[in-house]
Amino acid sequence: MSTLEIRRWAPTGDTVIAVQRGPEPGGAGGLYRAFGETLRGLKTTFGRLVEGTYVYQYPEEKIPVYPRFRGRHKLHRFEDTGLEKCVGCSLCAAACPADCIRVVAAENTPEQRVSAGERYAAVYEINLSRCIFCGYCEVACPFDAITMGHDFELSDYNRDDLIFTKEMLLAEPLERTPLRTEDE
Amino acid sequence: MPRPEVRIVTFSIDGREVQAPEGVMLVDGAKHGDVEIPVFCYEPKLGQPVGACRMCLVEIEGIPKLQTACSTPVKDGMVVHTQTTRVREAQNSVVEFLLVNHPLDCPVCDKGGECPLQDITFGWGRGISRMVEPKRHFKKPLELSPLIAIDRERCILCYRCVRFSQEVSEDYQLILHERGAQSYVGTFDSHPYVAPFSGNIIELCPVGALTSRPYRFRARPWDIEGAGTVCTLCPSQCNVELTVRDERVLRVLGRDHADVDDGWLCDKGRFAYQAIHSEERIVEPLVRDGDQLRPASWERALSAAASALGKARGSVGALAGGTTTNEEAFLLQRLVREGLGSADVDSRIDGSPMPLELQRALAAPALGATVPDIEFAHTVLVLGTEPVDDAPILDLRIRKGVRRRGVQLAVATPRPSSLDRNAKLWLRYAPGAEHAFLAALEAALGASGDVDRLCAVADADPKAVRALADLLGEDGRGDVVILWGERVGAAALPALLNVAGRLGLAEREGAGLLEVPASANGRGLREAGMQPNAGPGLSEVAAAGRSAQQIAAAAADGELAALYLLHTDPIRDGADAPLWRRALARASTVIAHSAFLTDELREHATVVFPAESYAEKEGTVTHPDGRLQRLRPGIGHPGSVRAEWSVLAELERAVSVRVPQGDTNGHSSPLTGPMATRQLVEAVPFYAGLTLEEIGGRGVRWQERAAAEAFPAGPAGPFDVGEPTPVASPHGALRLGTFRSIWAAPEVEHAPALKFLARSATLEVSPADAERLGIENGDRVRVGNDDRSVEARAAIRGNAPAGTVFLDAGLPAGGASELVDGTPVSVDRAGVEVTA
Repeated sequence: MSTLEIRRWAPTGDTVIAVQRGPEPGGAGGLYRAFGETLRGLKTTFGRLVEGTYVYQYPEEKIPVYPRFRGRHKLHRFEDTGLEKCVGCSLCAAACPADCIRVVAAENTPEQRVSAGERYAAVYEINLSRCIFCGYCEVACPFDAITMGHDFELSDYNRDDLIFTKEMLLAEPLERTPLRTEDE
Repeated sequence: MPRPEVRIVTFSIDGREVQAPEGVMLVDGAKHGDVEIPVFCYEPKLGQPVGACRMCLVEIEGIPKLQTACSTPVKDGMVVHTQTTRVREAQNSVVEFLLVNHPLDCPVCDKGGECPLQDITFGWGRGISRMVEPKRHFKKPLELSPLIAIDRERCILCYRCVRFSQEVSEDYQLILHERGAQSYVGTFDSHPYVAPFSGNIIELCPVGALTSRPYRFRARPWDIEGAGTVCTLCPSQCNVELTVRDERVLRVLGRDHADVDDGWLCDKGRFAYQAIHSEERIVEPLVRDGDQLRPASWERALSAAASALGKARGSVGALAGGTTTNEEAFLLQRLVREGLGSADVDSRIDGSPMPLELQRALAAPALGATVPDIEFAHTVLVLGTEPVDDAPILDLRIRKGVRRRGVQLAVATPRPSSLDRNAKLWLRYAPGAEHAFLAALEAALGASGDVDRLCAVADADPKAVRALADLLGEDGRGDVVILWGERVGAAALPALLNVAGRLGLAEREGAGLLEVPASANGRGLREAGMQPNAGPGLSEVAAAGRSAQQIAAAAADGELAALYLLHTDPIRDGADAPLWRRALARASTVIAHSAFLTDELREHATVVFPAESYAEKEGTVTHPDGRLQRLRPGIGHPGSVRAEWSVLAELERAVSVRVPQGDTNGHSSPLTGPMATRQLVEAVPFYAGLTLEEIGGRGVRWQERAAAEAFPAGPAGPFDVGEPTPVASPHGALRLGTFRSIWAAPEVEHAPALKFLARSATLEVSPADAERLGIENGDRVRVGNDDRSVEARAAIRGNAPAGTVFLDAGLPAGGASELVDGTPVSVDRAGVEVTA
């Protein structure tokens, strides 16, 4: 090409994207924008100050937990048949990063049917002193047999007592942990 | 037949230049270029590919349609693509198609986690299924046999199991019923699939359709650890991988070794692991207290054993068998020879001692055949052994040779062999007439001697013997391998060596003799010095001791005060059970290493040390072809079981054996397992320099090492054959032959899964004799000679020779060893009750 042709960039129609710029700093608006939001947050803080101190009388009075709080695990049964949901597939043990779940499976027989599938968990143990409450077991479970419950009071005098067996995990907790309602 | 020569070809796959041996299938060729082609039905061990699953489709330039890589051999200049859209579409569709009827019950499936179908679906599948229609349903789970569960819904019809049954183990039991989507695997008439090698189909199945019943729901792949070792339940010494969870063996898998087992296992090797964790197993030392054996501490048991042995100095007889390792045998013979001043050690519990000269000639490195030689030989002669019972995995190797490599098989045995069908020629001779038969064969091969007369002595067909000689001595023939059983007896060996000499077996690379010993580590025990007439390394001994049979007789006569039994139960393994009972009763001291208590031990043993199982052992064993293999502990010792080499070393210390100055560390007795190995290696000249590292996971044949030159050469032939003693010619009575079934083992009897296969005395009768005696299949009969008799169940066998009956040996009681060997027997229908 002998002559360099310079084409003028002339955008039209859809190629143009209008960008909205923020307000210029300075002025009364600028001052409000700099401190107004902070003051709004501080209102909550000072409001609490005025409210005074409130001490939860734990353990008599418990702080309600959020619905997705990950506390001690629970194993579930089918409500209609009463059979255990867990089939002892050991996927939770495979997913567990702390390696705190031990599953030993066994086969259901017509005389002794424990779970809905061919197999059931003859041994299901979670070592709660190892558990990091990450909830991966719940995610891994193909049958929604294990979920993270809301109990968080797990301290004990003996490490061995922190190994929860299947019966303990299946049983309803003696005392329910209060759950936070939506507006709390 | 020489091994095929390998030519290398170059082809292109996914744009890479790849070199692979000519003739291999594309699937294998692609691996040389690090390209993985997914397969389900392809398994080279099963023979020719069938292309049933269509998973391996690839695009080959010049061929319009996609081709199955499993059945397309690589060619020079071939251009293959595995990553094109077309191929990917095809793979996606095949996976989707295979999953159309698959239940996807992975969480409850035992294969889950180690399942090729899962892996390939994950790697090559579409990820979603468009299938909304109901799936095919079968009744499940069903028992295909007491050992195998079948779930037909999971089956993807790859034909692997059926091909194994039809073409590898050749039991012809598994078939595919029906057609198309209705197809299902099963046996004809739905009888249980019971066969010596049935367990292999569990490992072959690429989905969870065939699963092990003993392993059912025991563990998932992430719960377990693999531990490689060697199975020592028979002389095949297959390489195995133990599946271990919580210090328990839960499963045994094959560890493919082309020079040993070809990747297969027999059902005894696969399921007898249950005996390791049997409730009845002895897991602590027992010491006699009055008329009872009571558990005792190790200190007490060791001091009781040492003082009893010390008192019996000079009159101790020791036997070793079963899973005894080379190290244990070496330590035991050193303990007895040097510490207790006795020369009576033996490892041939039911055999006769073999002259040392003959042993050296037989074990000469040039004359030895290897296991793969069976496959590539021109002719294989099976002599006086039933491979499926004596070394099961060799049975599969012979079948493979005959089927795939055109090996000509000849079978010469007293008892009908399961290999008769595959043999080009089979012949029978009278039990115990190996000497006469081999002399006749030698004569037929051109030596002096009257073939007809010798055949008459052996009760063999002279025409068949001549035909066998023609087959073996054929002009321009290739290699000949003679697989012979230890039970042919010492008298027959000169003739065997002469036959080998005439056939020139020592001069040919792929030809030779391969012995099937009677005990699992027979060769290793002998090379470690566990025999009366030879020390470690088949060395001369100053004075030969008593053989097993003589030990029994001497103990029964009160000439031997103490018996030391390492991993052997002479009542079961010996030739004469009543004599052994007398011997055990008479001996003042009986020290046994045993995993289970027998009646005799309960009554007569002074000290019983708990025996290790092979899963706990550390040491080496020697394969019949000279391959030293290493046992590695897969699990810890249960109870207070201790390593047996350390028990022997403790006893050695207690009776103060002085180890020769050659020991580099100046320790008298080994303190660690590897130290025991080092002492063994120093004592056996042709093992010299061998280390556990060199043996490694695959083993090493000592004949292939430089140290093999130190092997003490035997005399060159020909040998004096001598005049064979005529076998009993019964007048109206029957000849007695014995055999030891693969299932006649304590491990089988103590494994719950295999219990249904445990042997009871069975008498095999020819149809002619059965008719003459009025016996029907399944009748209870009484077999007797010389005032002794046993009860057995009659089984009529088609090609059994008339005039001879065969009775089970190797039973805990009531087997052939209760009768007098080599004496005609009479058979009566006992009590006349016929079991239904």
